[in-house]
Parts: sequence; C-alpha cells; structure tokens
Amino acid sequence: MTDEPARGLSPDALALLEEIAVRLEAARRLELGSSESVLRSIVDATVALFQAEAASIALYDPPTDRLVFRVAAGEQGQGAIGLSVPPSEGLVGYVYTTGQALALSDVERDQRFGRRYAEQTAYVPRSIVAVPLVDEHGTIGVLEVLDKRESETFSLRDIELASVFARQAAIAISSSRVERDAASLLAAALGGLLGDQSGARSAQVEEIAGAATAALGRDDESGLWALVEQVARARAADPASIALVTDLLAVLARHAERTPRPRSGIGRR
Amino acid sequence: MTSDLPAWSEPFVGEGRSALARVVPFGAIDREWAIGGSDGSGILVAIIDSGVERDHPAVGGRLTRSVMVDISGEDPEVRDDPGGIDVVGHGTACAGIIHSLAPAAEFVSIRVLGPDNRGKGLAFAAGLDWAIEQGAGVANLSLSSRSEALFPTFHELADAAYFANVLLVSAANNVPGPSYPSLFASVISVAAHDLDDPMVWFYNPSPPVEFGARGVDVDVAWRGGGRIVATGNSFAAPHIAGIATLIRAKHPGVTPFEVKAILAATAQGARKA
Repeated sequence: MTDEPARGLSPDALALLEEIAVRLEAARRLELGSSESVLRSIVDATVALFQAEAASIALYDPPTDRLVFRVAAGEQGQGAIGLSVPPSEGLVGYVYTTGQALALSDVERDQRFGRRYAEQTAYVPRSIVAVPLVDEHGTIGVLEVLDKRESETFSLRDIELASVFARQAAIAISSSRVERDAASLLAAALGGLLGDQSGARSAQVEEIAGAATAALGRDDESGLWALVEQVARARAADPASIALVTDLLAVLARHAERTPRPRSGIGRR
Repeated sequence: MTSDLPAWSEPFVGEGRSALARVVPFGAIDREWAIGGSDGSGILVAIIDSGVERDHPAVGGRLTRSVMVDISGEDPEVRDDPGGIDVVGHGTACAGIIHSLAPAAEFVSIRVLGPDNRGKGLAFAAGLDWAIEQGAGVANLSLSSRSEALFPTFHELADAAYFANVLLVSAANNVPGPSYPSLFASVISVAAHDLDDPMVWFYNPSPPVEFGARGVDVDVAWRGGGRIVATGNSFAAPHIAGIATLIRAKHPGVTPFEVKAILAATAQGARKA
C-alpha cells in the first residue's frame, strides 16, 4: 500500500478501513487460535486413544489447491505440520477426493510409497488410517493416524473410531468458517457504504486491508498478539474476571490514545 | 473382533450374522450352478477410480482400454489415457482383486481422479455415463458423490445402467449424509466383513448396504508394480464385483436384479429350499 489517500478514498475512510482490517485480523487470529486448539486437542486425543506414533489433520486450502497439514500430535507427528500435498496424489489426496476411509499397512514393503510418504510427512510409517473430514458441503480435509503401537494394522473399528474424531474436527472447522464468512460479509458491506462498488475499488479495499494486516505482522514482537492469545484463552474465565480485565484494558487504551507510540503499527501509519 | 464392531459391518460380523439367514429360499440355486467353472470370460468390467496400471502383474494384461475424464472445457469430455497409469494405486488394487476372482474378464479403466478433475462429481458422472455406453457388464465404483446438486444426474445414471443391463457395484460410504449412487436401490452397495476369505460374502436384508465381503487386511496390488495391505469398504466392493462377473459370464442372460438375487441366494447362511 502507498500513503496516497488520493486514490478515491478520503483519509478518514482509509483510517476507518485500516481500523476494520485490524479488527478483522484480531478476530481471525482469535478464531484461528480457538479452532486450531480444538483441532490440536482432537489429534492429541487420537494419539492417546490409538496409542499411535502420530496423528495429523490436513485441511484443503483453496488458494493453493493443496492439502495442508495444520496440526499434528505424537512423537513422530511434529514434522508434518506445514507440509502440503496436492489433492490429486497419494493416500491423503485419495481420501480427500473420494471421501472413502482407508487403512493401509505393510507400507514399508512398498519403498516408493514410503519414500513419497516421507517426503510428504517427514516420517515413514508402517501403517496408516486416513478418514475424511466431512461437513455439510463435502470433504474439507483428512485425519490421519500413523502406526498403532500395539498392532501392525488398523481394524474396521479403528476406521470408525477415527471417523468419529474426524467428525468432531469437521464441526469445529465449519463453525469457525461461519465466523470468518461473517467477517468477509462485514468487510464487503463497509466497502459498499464507502461508495466502493467497482471491482477496481474492491481490489483497492483488499489491498488496503492486506497492507494494514501485513503491518500488524511486523508487530509480532510488540506483544499485541500475545495479548490476543490470552484474550482467546480468557473465554473460559468467569464474568467477573472478564469485567475486571475489560476495565483495565479500557484504562490502558485511553492512555495509549493520549500518547501514541512513536512507531505506530496499529491502525493508521 | 466380534466385540469390536463398526456400525456398517455389524450385520456381517459375529452374532450379527444370525439375522442374515432369513433370505428367501431360491430352490436349486447354489454356488456350483451360479459360478462353477466360470472365469469371467466375455465380460467387460469398468473400473471407475484412480486409473489402472496396465503392466501391473496383478491385472494379468487384461486392461483393454484406459480413458480419463477432462472437465476443463464446457462439457466433460472422455478421452483416451494411453499411458495406462494409476495416480494412487487404488484402481489397480480393485482391478487386481477382480482379476484374482475372474481371471478371464477384461477391464476398461475410467480415471476420474487426477490433477485435472480430482474426484469432482461431474467427472465421476461423465465417467459412469461413458461406462454405461460401452456396455460394461459390471462397473466397480469405490467412490461416490455427496453433491445434492448431482442427485438427479446420478439417479438417472443408475436407472440408465439398470435398463442397459450394466451392474453397478459400489463401496458403502461410512460418513453420514447422502452418498450417490451408492444409496440407490438398483446399485449393489458393499461393506467389509472381517473374514480372511474372498469367497465368503453375506446378504443383508436391511438396505441400503446389502452385501458384506472381504475388506480387512487384503493384500492388494498398488501403484508402481507394488503391493500393500489394505482395509476398507472400497476393497470389499471389488470382491462382489468379481463374483458378479463370474455370474454374468456363466449366465449371459441374467439382468442386474437377477445377479443381485443370485448373489443373495449363494451368500453365506442363505437358506436352501
């Protein structure tokens, strides 16, 4: 983004948009934190229940057209986080595209499979169960469990149990997506209110919002996002405690408004 | 295993099997009459899946044609896939199971998964339509679509297959909600049982999942000429598809509903008149 408010938007409108972008980003991080922590607890429980070496959840990411491993648990699971696979390939892709739950074992006998798998998840398993995460619109990802310690293979019952966990994960994700959709609707509505009807203007709104949130990203060390994390966790606190913290934050915010930081990363720059 | 039952396999495992003996007696129909001496010759089996590896030893050189569905244009287009590849291994696993039961049957592979269409319902429907046009005797479908929008399309295709004498064998989907065409009445929907015998199958008089077949720890063909041990309903379906192929080869005049009846009459625990 540039600092030229002349691109059809008044400085006030720009400031307002940036403010909205900040709030959307905060909401997104709050939501992301909560849905990821639910997913993490699901893979943790899966590893414990199956006595497995690893469990992970890959979600379909439309912009990149890949299945991205978002959370993982177990001693052998951590290497998978952040890796991604195309939905047209391999076991994870098959389960995602067909919605069919599968278990494979004796995987190491097929070296090519094992090597490909290791490239994808940073761990070569002996056995795998993969089940689809399905919401009301279709398959949104895949839950995988690797290597049950007490058994060489996964049974039909294991597939069904994993499917129950996958259902929980799908519910957690689709409810958080509803929140995100509400945020997008809000942004679009505000764009309209600002007289921002044309496609070019929409792109500009996106650009401004993106630039504002990118600036926030550089503020990681400021501790703001640590604060957001704590707020997300504080959802469980009792109403009296929340009221107290809200009052304290109001005092802090008033103080901050009177004495802006020299390097203002929040809101306008 | 009997105390450890997934819901969709429950009727086919342990004590649950006692309820399956109610099948109507079919008189003289027994396995010797149904499939004795049959090797599946003369039957074309369509594998609608991830492709079939042409040179895999488990397929026995029986793959006669490979096509793929291209949905990049306005209408889906079925075109030749001369490479004869399998992008996952699953389609080769299904063909290998059917070949082990009906070694003289021929295969046509319809790849509806892959970088171009990756299991989109539309590609699947176009592939199924093509298989019906080719006059396949049996079509093995280990995938189904959840798209409500495609319900009428798949319903029409299931009827078209039935009227064209094409038997559709589909893996049951264990995820709740609609799943087409596996939930249609004319389709043979199959779930896995836990017995280690490809010639053991069960008939369940409570639809939609009417048949149970081997699907646990099956040693199957896989991509790259390899083999793997696999569990799931999608490995049970090709067992029933293989038996149905034997029936159709031996009794060329039978219709899909009669194949279903013969499968029920020759299932484990079926009462004899």
